Amino acid sequence: MADIVRKKVVSVEGPSLRERLQAMDDSAVVTAFLGGEERAFSELVTRYQTRLLNFVYRTIGDREKAEDLVQEVFIRVYRHLHRFDRSKKFSTWVYTIASNLAKNELRNRSRNPLVLFQTVQKNFQDDDRPLQFEDTTSRPDDMYRKRHLREIVEETVAKLPEHHRNVFILRELEGKSYEEIAEITDCNLGTVKSRLNRARNSFAEIIAPYVD
Amino acid sequence: MDCRQFCDQHVAFVDDTLAGIELVRMQRHLAECECCAKHDAKIRRALLLFRNLPSIEPSADFSRRLEARLRECDNDRLLATTQRNLRLGAVAATLASAVMLGYIGTTLYHHSDPPRDMVMAPVIATIPEPELTPITTSAPAIVASVTAGLTIWPAALFAEQAPVGFAHSRLELTNYTR
Repeated sequence: MADIVRKKVVSVEGPSLRERLQAMDDSAVVTAFLGGEERAFSELVTRYQTRLLNFVYRTIGDREKAEDLVQEVFIRVYRHLHRFDRSKKFSTWVYTIASNLAKNELRNRSRNPLVLFQTVQKNFQDDDRPLQFEDTTSRPDDMYRKRHLREIVEETVAKLPEHHRNVFILRELEGKSYEEIAEITDCNLGTVKSRLNRARNSFAEIIAPYVD
Repeated sequence: MDCRQFCDQHVAFVDDTLAGIELVRMQRHLAECECCAKHDAKIRRALLLFRNLPSIEPSADFSRRLEARLRECDNDRLLATTQRNLRLGAVAATLASAVMLGYIGTTLYHHSDPPRDMVMAPVIATIPEPELTPITTSAPAIVASVTAGLTIWPAALFAEQAPVGFAHSRLELTNYTR
């Protein structure tokens, strides 16, 4: 009898808070968080952590540092969400923070060669680890080829000038519109298109010998 | 369309954001120009490689570390609020103490004075200007009666009703001389 009553109660309650948050768009989740719903922030983290990590990692090329920077993004979002202009897109705001942090990181590296050295060391150690995303059923030579190709692509992206790379990643990896990229990188639409064109051409030129 | 125009619009062409007519012109040029066709294929193949890069996932302890940092952030905020409140409280307490001390000091200072008699400021009194009212009745006779001390009833009645300044010194003097 008690079970039946409990089942009725559950059916009356409807979807759980987590499910309701998942069904909301970013703006509604932000409103819920500002309204005192702490769990709404977890939903925002879940939505953006992987995307931001990939974006920052492709920009700076250091996985550990990328994780630290993504954490810093979320801390800043947590602290300043009440100041966020809700008439704008939340994702654009988050990517702007991430982009600025990545830019600062690259600037600091160019000023401090020691950091660059540490980064190279870290990357070197990363190379020794087994890849997490490779298909283990593949043949070893395929695996080697894939891994080699992945490294070449990553190195090629790293060779692009910083402002070209930023636009390139936002467009090709994150699928942002030109307008959003313009807002995130704080430049006009024409500049975005021009940088994207140059970045694509450079990337294709550098990688072509390895692909053919 | 020439190759230069093709290259200028290639970004929009790859992203599929061109208007219908432009798109047709680009496709037509692509079919005609081998060089541009090669360029287009090279770009698309390179982009395909980049877009197919495996996605990286946050490490296992990412959430735990973030949670710890957020908690730290909350604690910092709480601490900052408490410190601000404490500072405000301290300022308010200091001000209240200063006011209280001032009040006590003032009170003590007044109590330390010996009791003195109440001294009032001197008052300067002036005699009002006498009003000289003309006598309209057959006054000489009545006044004469009054001064003579005769028991004449009309005179007595007048005397009762007469104002203070009725018997004016000049009038008396006049009467005496008469």
